[in-house]
Amino acid sequence: MIDEKVINEFSQIVGARGLLNENLDLFTYSYDASFLPLLPAAKPDLVLKPQSTQEVAAIMKLAHKYRIPVVARGLGTGRTGGSVPAEGGLVLCLDEMNQILELDDQNLMLTVEPGVKTQDIYQFCAERGLFYPPDPSSLKQSTIGGNIAENAGGPRAVKYGVTGDYVMGLEVVLADGSVLQTGGKMIKNVTGYDLTRLFVGSEGTLGIITRAILRLIPMPKIRRTAQALFDSLDGACAAVSRSIKSGAIPAAAELMDQISIEAVAKFRNIELDPRVKAGVIFEFDGDSEAGLDAQIGEAERLCAECGSVQFRIAKTKEEEDELWSLRRGMSSAIAALAANRIAEDISVPRAALPEIVKRLREIAARYGLQLAVFGHAGDGNLHPSLLADLNAPGEKEKVEQAVGEIFQAALAVGGTLSGEHGIGLTKKDYLADALGETGMAAIRSIKKALDPAGILNPGKIF
Amino acid sequence: MKQEIIQRLTEIVGQDNVYTSLEDLYCYSYDASFVKSNKKDLAGIAVYPGNAEETAKILKLANEEKIPVIPRGAGTNVSGGTISVGDSIILVLKRMNKILELDRKNLIAVVEPGVVTGYLQSEVERLGLFYPPDPASLAVSTIGGNVAECAGGPRGVKYGVTRDYVLGLEVVLASGEVINTGGKTIKNVTGYDMTKLFTGSEGTLGVITKIILKLIPKPEAKNTMLAVFSELEQASEAVSEIIAKGVVPATLELLDNIYIRNIEEYAKVGLPTDAEAVLLIEVDGDRQILAKQIDKIEEICKQSGAIQIRIAQTPAEAEELWRARRSAFPAVSRVRPTIIGEDVTVPRSNIPAMVKQIRAIAAKYKVIIAVLGHAGDGNLHATILTDETDREEWSRVEKAIDELFIAAVKLDGTLSGEHGIGRVKSKFITLQTGEAGLEIQRRIKQVLDPNNILNPGVMFGK
Repeated sequence: MIDEKVINEFSQIVGARGLLNENLDLFTYSYDASFLPLLPAAKPDLVLKPQSTQEVAAIMKLAHKYRIPVVARGLGTGRTGGSVPAEGGLVLCLDEMNQILELDDQNLMLTVEPGVKTQDIYQFCAERGLFYPPDPSSLKQSTIGGNIAENAGGPRAVKYGVTGDYVMGLEVVLADGSVLQTGGKMIKNVTGYDLTRLFVGSEGTLGIITRAILRLIPMPKIRRTAQALFDSLDGACAAVSRSIKSGAIPAAAELMDQISIEAVAKFRNIELDPRVKAGVIFEFDGDSEAGLDAQIGEAERLCAECGSVQFRIAKTKEEEDELWSLRRGMSSAIAALAANRIAEDISVPRAALPEIVKRLREIAARYGLQLAVFGHAGDGNLHPSLLADLNAPGEKEKVEQAVGEIFQAALAVGGTLSGEHGIGLTKKDYLADALGETGMAAIRSIKKALDPAGILNPGKIF
Repeated sequence: MKQEIIQRLTEIVGQDNVYTSLEDLYCYSYDASFVKSNKKDLAGIAVYPGNAEETAKILKLANEEKIPVIPRGAGTNVSGGTISVGDSIILVLKRMNKILELDRKNLIAVVEPGVVTGYLQSEVERLGLFYPPDPASLAVSTIGGNVAECAGGPRGVKYGVTRDYVLGLEVVLASGEVINTGGKTIKNVTGYDMTKLFTGSEGTLGVITKIILKLIPKPEAKNTMLAVFSELEQASEAVSEIIAKGVVPATLELLDNIYIRNIEEYAKVGLPTDAEAVLLIEVDGDRQILAKQIDKIEEICKQSGAIQIRIAQTPAEAEELWRARRSAFPAVSRVRPTIIGEDVTVPRSNIPAMVKQIRAIAAKYKVIIAVLGHAGDGNLHATILTDETDREEWSRVEKAIDELFIAAVKLDGTLSGEHGIGRVKSKFITLQTGEAGLEIQRRIKQVLDPNNILNPGVMFGK
């Protein structure tokens, strides 16, 4: 509980407008988009909605003085509990700092506040012939601040990289309320340690991001979508790998296994060729028809060599949407198959994709659980979904054990626990397996150096 | 150095791999920068470990005895980051020079730090793959040094810098403990991004003993063109326009009039000696797209006022154009005995303003400063032509360099784009980071190297 007197001090910073402490309000800030059960302990004591860096700095100074836990939050679309106030305290909700501050069209840089929605950034740029590539599935709701704090990815990462690759500089309010500027508008910069990249993906545990400078690129002039269906999952994986190696690098290469495809087919009443065991949705982009034709031609040839039973290139915008709808509808179609869908986010070396899928299926079979696998084949980032009824007796334990084994399998093939969702609360028990004791000690020492009082998002990552 | 320490180090690496004679130690009192250690600051010993295990033992010993350790590759760095600091251990990693793995399926190379950058590139290209970062020293420099400095190069504009290709590291910490960061996965958000923190940390946080690098498919073809402008602003405008149009060349090299005149005198490549700027442009990619790119760039250059454009029709002609750029340093080094290459970097759009400042500074202190740069990424190499034995002139040069840094930061730029801070620029670092920024960096240094044994004095000064 935060003392009434202290609440008053906070209210002087943000005004009555920016302070929530009604029970129902507080409850809505106690969960996010992860599959964590509602935790009674995770109800915040107070929610603050600052509108400027100065307000954030003043809040942090007070929180630091009174040693109150502070959890930064955008729009709560995180998948690992990163914005859940696990130890109570105050939630610093940044959704009102939502201005696009500057477009520098000479240097192709955009300066934004953390609460701008990712989709709004994309749209703002697209209207001006510019391109901000990172595209987490949640982009319509998620904020750029959250994307940066989690280093969000998305389908386009195979060609364009992830959020971190576009963050050139940050303004960060540190645990004690001091304000730090990192990086800037220069493309090359080796002055001091790369603090920008340290804050990217730090999940709100090292500082509060209050401003970001993003790099933009020119919007590719043409995009084309193709759908390839295969008689084996190994064939689908090989086709993606070979396409990338040939230089025909897709802007997206989304892999779907048989269960995933069947789920969507069932959901949408589509008749499916019985030979189909896997599918890939490819997107190619570029600036010339000829160049794009050549790339798609190459991809089609390689897919055929890898056992594709169908390769369909979208001819119209409608066909394109239809092909993509298969992928976009996947999460909900799969979710409809069972009471609960537990979606993970492992990342493995691309060549290990067939091996990891084999192992995932063995794990699911051993626990008698249904498993659907889809993901970003081009960069080895998979989202295996376990289907279960967590209310059925014994099911929750089975799922927990299976998830543990999924992480072990990812590490065993040279992969990692999280490609784009972060560690948060849901994966922290497995972190030491991935980093080793020395690695844990190293990141712990960084945390201690930047937040000695441990008030920033306590209970996360470590 | 105490005989007992020399004895123990000899036991670790063997008699053949330690050097203690005055002649040997003198070799480590300088690198490719203009600073040298005083005679009294010669190292106590140079050791050449053969593997990570030996490196770990050396660091453990040094940490217990609180002896400074200076990691070093081929000593090509230009910021004084690898020179001796008195009774210290020079840790030379050149024996660890094996390419451990070229993984053609995942497009990944695993290498030891002592591998020469140019050698790695040629080995990779034999497999049809590509490692783009191309610091000017690549024929000699080691990949470990490139990672430690986050080296760049002309291709930075299209392909990014060393950081963008480092996926994982094995690092020996000051304590002698070994940490593995990152891995073979493209996406990885498991814990803080320690890989990026060690990249560019200039040997102050740990000793890199293994590197996992991302490779890409080798571009099918390349072509070269040269555009001559009578005004520098026109060249700069052409650069911004080329990038805004989405035609990103592999390199975009800018030469100023001092360079043009000297190159013409020296190499007779047919440059008009009254021109204020020359752009040397290389494009790469699919053969069929190249011609279009060249056409577009030609059009943009013409619109921006180019007075001469030469497009190579054959590889021999391309070679001839590149001869102009490659003879740049030999050409200007005839002018005066000492040549100092600074590497201030500004946002691309501020290149004309920065060049104007450089000229004003040169005039004020009556020194010759020629400008060559990677114009596409705003990385300028202000080349000071002087004589270090002329004390009076040297004092003017030092003042001019100070003002260069201040001017760059005022233009939203940075002290160093690709050379690092080292010992040369440490006194200027707060210009860029501010006190809060430096304090954070100091804390990170402190937790990872509490006894300050790793490259003391680099980045943070004395």
